[in-house]
Amino acid sequence: MPLVDIDLIIGGPQGGGIDSAAQIVIRAFSIAGYEAYGIREYYSNIKGRHSYFHVRIKETPVRSLRYPVDLLVCLDYESPFVHMDDVSEKTKVLYDEDLINTKLDQVLTMEPETKKHVMDKLKADGFDTTLAGAINYMKKKGATPYPVSFRSLVVGALGPNKPPARYANTLGASLAMALMGLPAEFTSRGIESVFGKKKEVVEDNEKIIKTGYDFVKSHNNVNIKELPVRPAKDKYILTGNEAVGIGKVIGGLKLQTYYPITPAADESFFLEGHDYFETSMGDEIDKENEVLKNTGVVVVQAEDEISAIAMAISGAMTGTRTATGTSGPGFSLMAEAIGYAGINEVPVVVTLYQRGGPSTGLPTRNSQADLMFAINAGHGEFPKIVYSSGDVPEAIYDSVRVFNYAEKFQVPVIHILDKNLANSFFLVDKMDYSKIKIERWKLAEDGENIERFKFTDDGVSPMGLFGKNIIWLTGDEHSELGHITEDPETRDAMMVKRMTKLQTILNEIPKEEQVEFIGNPTADVTLLSWGSNKGVILSVFERLKSEGISANLVYVKLMNPFPTKLVTKYLSGAKVLIDLENNYTAQLATLVKQNCGIDVQNFILKYNGRHTTDDEVYEGIKRVLEKKEKKVVMIRGA
Amino acid sequence: MAHNFRTDLWVDWCPGCGDFGILAALQQTMAELNKKPEDFAIFSGIGCSAKTPHYINAPGMHTLHGRVIPFATGVKLANPNLTVIADGGDGDLLSIGAGHFVAAGRRNVDMTIIIHNNGVYGLTKGQASPTMPRGEKTKGLQRPNILDSLNPVALALSVGYTFVARAFSFDVKNTKDIIMKAVKHRGTSVIDLLQPCPTYNDINTKEWYEERIYYLDKDPTWDPVVKDATSEASEEKFIQAIKKSLEWGDKIPLGVLYQNDLVPSFGDRISEHLLNYFEVPPSSSPILNEEGNPVARMETIFTDRLIRR
Repeated sequence: MPLVDIDLIIGGPQGGGIDSAAQIVIRAFSIAGYEAYGIREYYSNIKGRHSYFHVRIKETPVRSLRYPVDLLVCLDYESPFVHMDDVSEKTKVLYDEDLINTKLDQVLTMEPETKKHVMDKLKADGFDTTLAGAINYMKKKGATPYPVSFRSLVVGALGPNKPPARYANTLGASLAMALMGLPAEFTSRGIESVFGKKKEVVEDNEKIIKTGYDFVKSHNNVNIKELPVRPAKDKYILTGNEAVGIGKVIGGLKLQTYYPITPAADESFFLEGHDYFETSMGDEIDKENEVLKNTGVVVVQAEDEISAIAMAISGAMTGTRTATGTSGPGFSLMAEAIGYAGINEVPVVVTLYQRGGPSTGLPTRNSQADLMFAINAGHGEFPKIVYSSGDVPEAIYDSVRVFNYAEKFQVPVIHILDKNLANSFFLVDKMDYSKIKIERWKLAEDGENIERFKFTDDGVSPMGLFGKNIIWLTGDEHSELGHITEDPETRDAMMVKRMTKLQTILNEIPKEEQVEFIGNPTADVTLLSWGSNKGVILSVFERLKSEGISANLVYVKLMNPFPTKLVTKYLSGAKVLIDLENNYTAQLATLVKQNCGIDVQNFILKYNGRHTTDDEVYEGIKRVLEKKEKKVVMIRGA
Repeated sequence: MAHNFRTDLWVDWCPGCGDFGILAALQQTMAELNKKPEDFAIFSGIGCSAKTPHYINAPGMHTLHGRVIPFATGVKLANPNLTVIADGGDGDLLSIGAGHFVAAGRRNVDMTIIIHNNGVYGLTKGQASPTMPRGEKTKGLQRPNILDSLNPVALALSVGYTFVARAFSFDVKNTKDIIMKAVKHRGTSVIDLLQPCPTYNDINTKEWYEERIYYLDKDPTWDPVVKDATSEASEEKFIQAIKKSLEWGDKIPLGVLYQNDLVPSFGDRISEHLLNYFEVPPSSSPILNEEGNPVARMETIFTDRLIRR
């Protein structure tokens, strides 16, 4: 058993520095040699509504979260209410005692529906509908409350002239870290790592940290064991958005276009902040070619998503690695242009971060409901690759892969991820670049009138480029030269040429890049899943193993063309097969039925927009195995 | 031998179509520019005018309805050394693609936009385009047009185009001169190119135009060029151009209406932070070494995400 395995939630108002608090926690623990993983949950709102960070800390790599949490840090008056079911007898609840008399009615930021649900629960159990009632509700569940006056602690530390609200996050993080037993030195370095070494900031924060640690120490009912410091190495702290951005840059991205949308825009915004840099060729470059020392990425905020995809498509036809990033509503607008890229065999990458739909849906919440849409986006029939990533390391390496696929096969690639991944924090090691290969198209000879759409056995023609060749592109059906034709025989031949690529893709992409089979082939239970649920499922497998239940996972990455033979092979040995996804209709299972003819009978699904956690996946699997339930809907999360 | 910018395809426009003159003027301009054909990139949207790239022996992209501007922009951003010309219809650029038309004025990418302006959607049998005045009933319409027309020149000026001109497709020589000036302008140039649709627009015919058009540059006092970077100087020329843009009906002015070479192009703006953008544009920037490994390194780029032990 690991010595340390801590889940914590830090909740507070949107815009109240919750992100920084979580960054401090993760960075501090990382410096002390621990592993950490976290997800940010937030409303579509700039300031005021409830947001929270759910983080888990272990000695070994972390890839999932669980309820109940060990520590609940409430930086606002809403947190105790909305998280009152996230606790158990092991939970420490830190809250602002100045707010203890707050009535539920006074919590203006809370939505009326949520308020009613909380009210009903408090009343049913005979508690006051006040913050004190919520604390008592948690007490009844066995949690230990820690009342703190944030205001008086900040005033005590910094005097009356500093606004207490501004320091609530660093104080909350300090108190949390003190309660978890992390030596203060690491909290201090965590804060420095987030806010930098500006003298005044460092001085203030040192006082806040000391105040927090002293406060915890002064409570004689708190028995805290100091955590051991572990050997650590330098790590990167990355979100899914950033991982994709980094993967794209390493993969040779030179033009990224986008229109602001949650949760995709953070990637482009991140790229804008890292768009001019020195290449690794630095020392080999002679004086004459000094201009090659640096390179960059042109990041363009377009007027809409149609423009973003159009720019990326045409840019790719100059030999530039181009991409765009978007989410559901923006992807809907891109559909026509994706068909254009299809008929013109353009190597363009579209990063699709799924969020709750339809329409605006749940703009800041998780979903995996765009799989079918991604596969079918664009009218008519044409080859495209839809490729899925499920965690940060995958997102980095896959972002290079999808460029390679796009160029090698000359097809548009939809790189599909979800909000959970986009907004989760991972700690990752430095990369091994010798493992990363960049594979490009087979180029046509320089010069005039080449046949851009030359018929070939594998469907892939030598690539012609703007700036190098005279080529024509058209959204109409076309001849090998690229001119419009409605000739029936040419149409037939062009359809065959393009669609042949689907088989070429399946033949040439290595099997392990198409589907991952994880676990023992003769296991008691087989999970079928994709995307960000991978980490949770594998964590739960460890727990099941300790109970004597063996499990394996068929984790699909290549969604289109569908690796039918491989998936059929992996699923055919399943004793109990369960599909687990974040959507209502079990879209991956539908794909499996459509392609493999395998009718999945058991489902664990979640579509409330919140992250999937260990406890509910564990419970879901047990309900299927023991109670023979066919469909379990996971409902956790505030 | 000089490159022949004609392809050997049969040009399938209706006899008397204004597109012929625009095509000829484009081909002449390209020949006179003395560049390699690969140095050009010709774009079009959807409709009759959209076939233009297929008739020009130079790299061409026939794109989507309304999207010619973003497609043209993408190529220019990736390879700023190319000469980019975008042909769109009036419906293409001013209705379905109007958002892009507005955004292009703000970006000022170094390229030329030609509005094939004939007042109708020809290829779908003559519906009213955004430039047809309200109350007109061309022969393709069931009843008189109930929408007001917009003014392409005034619209272009108001959203920041740095070169705005008008030409008439049956005067190929003048059209070529205007296109040449537009192409040489550093920034986005737009030409309101008036053309008859002999099949569906029986009001704005060749003869109708010929009775009304006149050339601004015949007047020696006409000067559309902003001379210094002060706001007063550009405002004076802007107001003069707006006034001219309102002249329509009995007299229709042709020529350069506004030209401001002092506004930095989008490429210039990019090169302020990507310092070698023009010398090593995205399309020729190396991305891999001889072993096939990437040349971009996380360690040198994303240091702010590194947690040092």
